[in-house]
Amino acid sequence: MTTTTMMTTTNEPIDLFAAFDLAVFERKKKRVFAPVGRVPDWLPVEAGPIDLGDRFPLLEMFLGELREAGAPDPLRSDLWSEPDGHGGELYLEAIGVVCEGRRFVAIRSLPQERFTYQQLAHDFELEKHKVERLSRELEIKRQEAERATQAKSAFLASMSHEIRTPLNAIIGMADVLSLTSLTPDQQKYVETFQRNGVSLLNLINEILDLSKVEAGHVQMEAVDLDLGDVVARAMEVVELRVSAKGLWLRQSIAPDVPRSLIGDPHRLRQIIINLLGNSIKFTERGGLEIRVELDPENPAPGRLRFGVTDTGIGIPADKLGVIFESFGQADSSTTRKYGGTGLGLTISKHLVELMDGRIWVESTVGVGSTFFFTAGFGVQAVQAAKTPSASAAAPVQDVPEGLRILLVDDSDDNRLLFIAYLKRTNSAIDIAENGQIGVDLFRARRYDLVLMDVEMPVMDGYQAVSEIRRIEKETGAEPTPVLALTAHAFSDMSGKGFAAGFTDLLTKPIRHATLLEAVAKYASAPIEVQVEEDMADVVPAYLEKRRAEVAVYRRALEAGDFDTIKHLAHKMKGTGTGYGFPRLTELGAALETSALQKDAEGVGKPLHEFARFVDKVQLK
Amino acid sequence: MSTARARTANTRASSHCNATIVPVLKKKICLLGSYGVGKTSLVARFVHSMFTDKYHTTVGVKIDKKVLELEGAELTLMLWDMAGEEDGVPVRLNQVKDASGYLLVADGTRGRTLDIARDIQRRVEKEVGVRPFLLLVNKADLRDTWEIPESAWGELADSGWTVLETSAKSGERVEEAFLTLSSRMLNAPADDDDDDDDDD
Repeated sequence: MTTTTMMTTTNEPIDLFAAFDLAVFERKKKRVFAPVGRVPDWLPVEAGPIDLGDRFPLLEMFLGELREAGAPDPLRSDLWSEPDGHGGELYLEAIGVVCEGRRFVAIRSLPQERFTYQQLAHDFELEKHKVERLSRELEIKRQEAERATQAKSAFLASMSHEIRTPLNAIIGMADVLSLTSLTPDQQKYVETFQRNGVSLLNLINEILDLSKVEAGHVQMEAVDLDLGDVVARAMEVVELRVSAKGLWLRQSIAPDVPRSLIGDPHRLRQIIINLLGNSIKFTERGGLEIRVELDPENPAPGRLRFGVTDTGIGIPADKLGVIFESFGQADSSTTRKYGGTGLGLTISKHLVELMDGRIWVESTVGVGSTFFFTAGFGVQAVQAAKTPSASAAAPVQDVPEGLRILLVDDSDDNRLLFIAYLKRTNSAIDIAENGQIGVDLFRARRYDLVLMDVEMPVMDGYQAVSEIRRIEKETGAEPTPVLALTAHAFSDMSGKGFAAGFTDLLTKPIRHATLLEAVAKYASAPIEVQVEEDMADVVPAYLEKRRAEVAVYRRALEAGDFDTIKHLAHKMKGTGTGYGFPRLTELGAALETSALQKDAEGVGKPLHEFARFVDKVQLK
Repeated sequence: MSTARARTANTRASSHCNATIVPVLKKKICLLGSYGVGKTSLVARFVHSMFTDKYHTTVGVKIDKKVLELEGAELTLMLWDMAGEEDGVPVRLNQVKDASGYLLVADGTRGRTLDIARDIQRRVEKEVGVRPFLLLVNKADLRDTWEIPESAWGELADSGWTVLETSAKSGERVEEAFLTLSSRMLNAPADDDDDDDDDD
């Protein structure tokens, strides 16, 4: 392009401007510029000469520079934007040219696309920053929520302790009262006590359970379980309620479902009981069925689908989602009419999720509902024969009689209650008001069972049981079953309790049947031996010496000192029957034989028997 | 802020044929700061009473006009909404030379934008000279999530800065910001801002 070309009067240069889509203006006077040729439509300016500096303020300085310019180098303005008159933006740039004293300004529009990457980069940076900021906030909220949940759990734990202790006394005393002779009216009143006490206890248990699950404090056990047994035990629990309403209750386990599984039997049973209980509540006629089959959607050996079907009132479609939420019964009047807290299903949902499954319900109003849940289990290598297993709980009438029991509890009410509970067992019960007194009594006498409160003044249960275990170790005595009585349903008591030496834990409130079951499970009656009158002076000392020998035997066995064992056993073989203990003669012979053969395993068994015998024997 | 409320009018062209003698002034204000802090949104809120959540990066410079009456004068504000500064591309300050004042804008939710605003202010003082200015910490509607610590306020006040927490979204203190700066510009030692044009 030459300046001469621009000066011609032909249309050529103007066509060139049009081809490059440029709006070109020439300076006429002061700041007034006249268009050269036609101004393109995209530039919103009025026709004819205009004050460019006024119309485009950004050009004001640029025009000043153009006015001063003499060199042939073109000037370039900053980029600026203008509304295009159609709701969009124009991105404009001006180029100034001085040519033989005449001054021209060419304005061009830059395509928006040239700036797209910049826009995208900014968008990206801003979004990234926003995401980072929200993540930080979320983390803070999460921590706050966690702290709140922990505070809630701590509150509930201590509250549960406070509520359970008096509730224990109320329910227990109602139980004891119901065993006395009452008029029909009184009987009715006591039953009301019992019924409401139990429902209050259930409510507390459910709230605590839900809190535990929500706080992530529930850990699933992975122990051997028998599926048929778990289902049968769940059915046992609800049987009474089913028959009271005149309903039927069936179960079916598909033949291809493995029975010997690895999982948490307690929690599985809890879910099934919750679902059965829920169905019973809403079913007036017909009945219920529980089915177990392989999960059709994921038919691996340990993946099972459970279904609890009822012929109850059904659930409207729009409420199907709500019922698994806390206190989310389909109709708020439900609580009044059918009772319950609405927490059972929420707890079940959490538990099912912990078992790597899901829970849902299919229902038709007026026809009935089926609650399904899936869960994953381990499968035991060896499958047990599919025979219905006997109930594991010992029937209450099997409780041994004439036990020697040490009861350590600082609460008058609780002591009275347990004595009442144990009345029919004709046990000899020694009472200690704190751990220290309990330990002193234990040191002086032998017991078949110790019932020990955990929280006590002077010496608490943990310390006391540790002392008892220490005494047993010293004397070589067989461990006595020591049951902890605790109102702490909610703490990590079990781990701490077992570590201290408790044999098992009973959570208050403790029902009559629960205590008797535990006694039956752990305590065995003393071995009574009739002592001849002439021997009455010497037998106790003889027995005491033998008891002291248990520790000597044990140390010798540990050291591989079979000579000492042989020597002691030989003496016992010779004297046992003479003092009225033929069993000691038998055991002495067995010990001697094994010691001669230097058979450590062979010594172990009669030694255990011997220790148990001297521990349990009671002279008459 | 001490500025009296002024009557503002959003006229496209101001009338110069008033019978009463009202001084007619034209002043240029630049908005400076990092990208995405809300400079365009502040102008849109002040001039058009509008807000949109959609982010649109400003290319080059965008010029808007607002006419208002302030302290007995008719004042035409030319609002220069400059492209935001970003890493490696510092904002060009040659457009600030003939400005009567400027607004530094930072985004309360992005702490770094305050550092950028401070840096721009230092460069303006050095390369262009002293002009009245305010610092607007924008996005006050998201105040709960601000990154700028409380301690920053004291430091800024110690350096004699006027800081306003604004929200282009809710309109909080936006008009006050522009009016406060305008008032300071009118009362600033007169600089040569006549727009006459000598000619050849």
